[in-house]
Amino acid sequence: MAHDWQPDFEQLVDEHQSMVFSLALRMTGDRGLAEEIAQDVFLELDRKLGKMESAAHACFWLRRVAMNRSADALRRRKVRGMDLWVEIDENHGVREENRSSPLGARLEQLLATLPEAQRAALVLRYQEDLTPEEIAATLEAPLATVKSHLQRGLKLLRAKASNHLKEYVRGV
Amino acid sequence: MDEFEEEVRQAFERRPAPPGLKRKLMERRRRVAQRHSFPLFAWRGLAASIVSVSLCILGALVVYSNYQQREAEKQREGEAARQQVLTALKITNHALEHMNAQLAARGRGAQQ
Repeated sequence: MAHDWQPDFEQLVDEHQSMVFSLALRMTGDRGLAEEIAQDVFLELDRKLGKMESAAHACFWLRRVAMNRSADALRRRKVRGMDLWVEIDENHGVREENRSSPLGARLEQLLATLPEAQRAALVLRYQEDLTPEEIAATLEAPLATVKSHLQRGLKLLRAKASNHLKEYVRGV
Repeated sequence: MDEFEEEVRQAFERRPAPPGLKRKLMERRRRVAQRHSFPLFAWRGLAASIVSVSLCILGALVVYSNYQQREAEKQREGEAARQQVLTALKITNHALEHMNAQLAARGRGAQQ
């Protein structure tokens, strides 16, 4: 199909590198791996640049491929038997000084402890501000499943955060 | 959206990409482009070789075809010349037979 939009690779990198890197980082919990995934995603975009029909299409494509690549990386790590959760906890890259509240800083660490599907749904919902329908399209999952992951993920995160706050208050 | 969700949204803001990400990406992109350009040269060389060989074969076929045509022409000309010689021999033979008959008739007339 003919389309007038002329994609500029460097401009797409400038616009979306933060999004792709953040998605990969929050899914894998490893800055180095997230950077590698981000590079891979953009190189794949470069190969398929001619198929991009619009800026929105490119953005949607980048989100989907970033999530898929992150899931692949997590699977590879599981196969290799690495203790991902420990690594996420250690390397999640949360810098307290960048966070407005202790809860905010802790939330990212708690996110890493959620099941992968719930984490993916929450990241797309709260980082990318997507609707459940958009998340379903991005993850190629049924809408009901996505809604369920969002509800359960948020509930679990709330419970974990609540426990953390209690500990925090006791500590103070 | 309740207070907790708002807190989650703020906590999950996009992180800035590492400063060197774009530079490293562009370097990788350049390397990939270089790697892909080699097979292109190889394909070009192969295509040029195929075209060259095809042209040589085509040239050889044309030369052979011309040679065959010339040979056939020569054969036809030789056959025509042979037919002409045979015709000439037949005419000569006929003339000689005719003369022979006349001489024989004159010989018989002289004896009588």
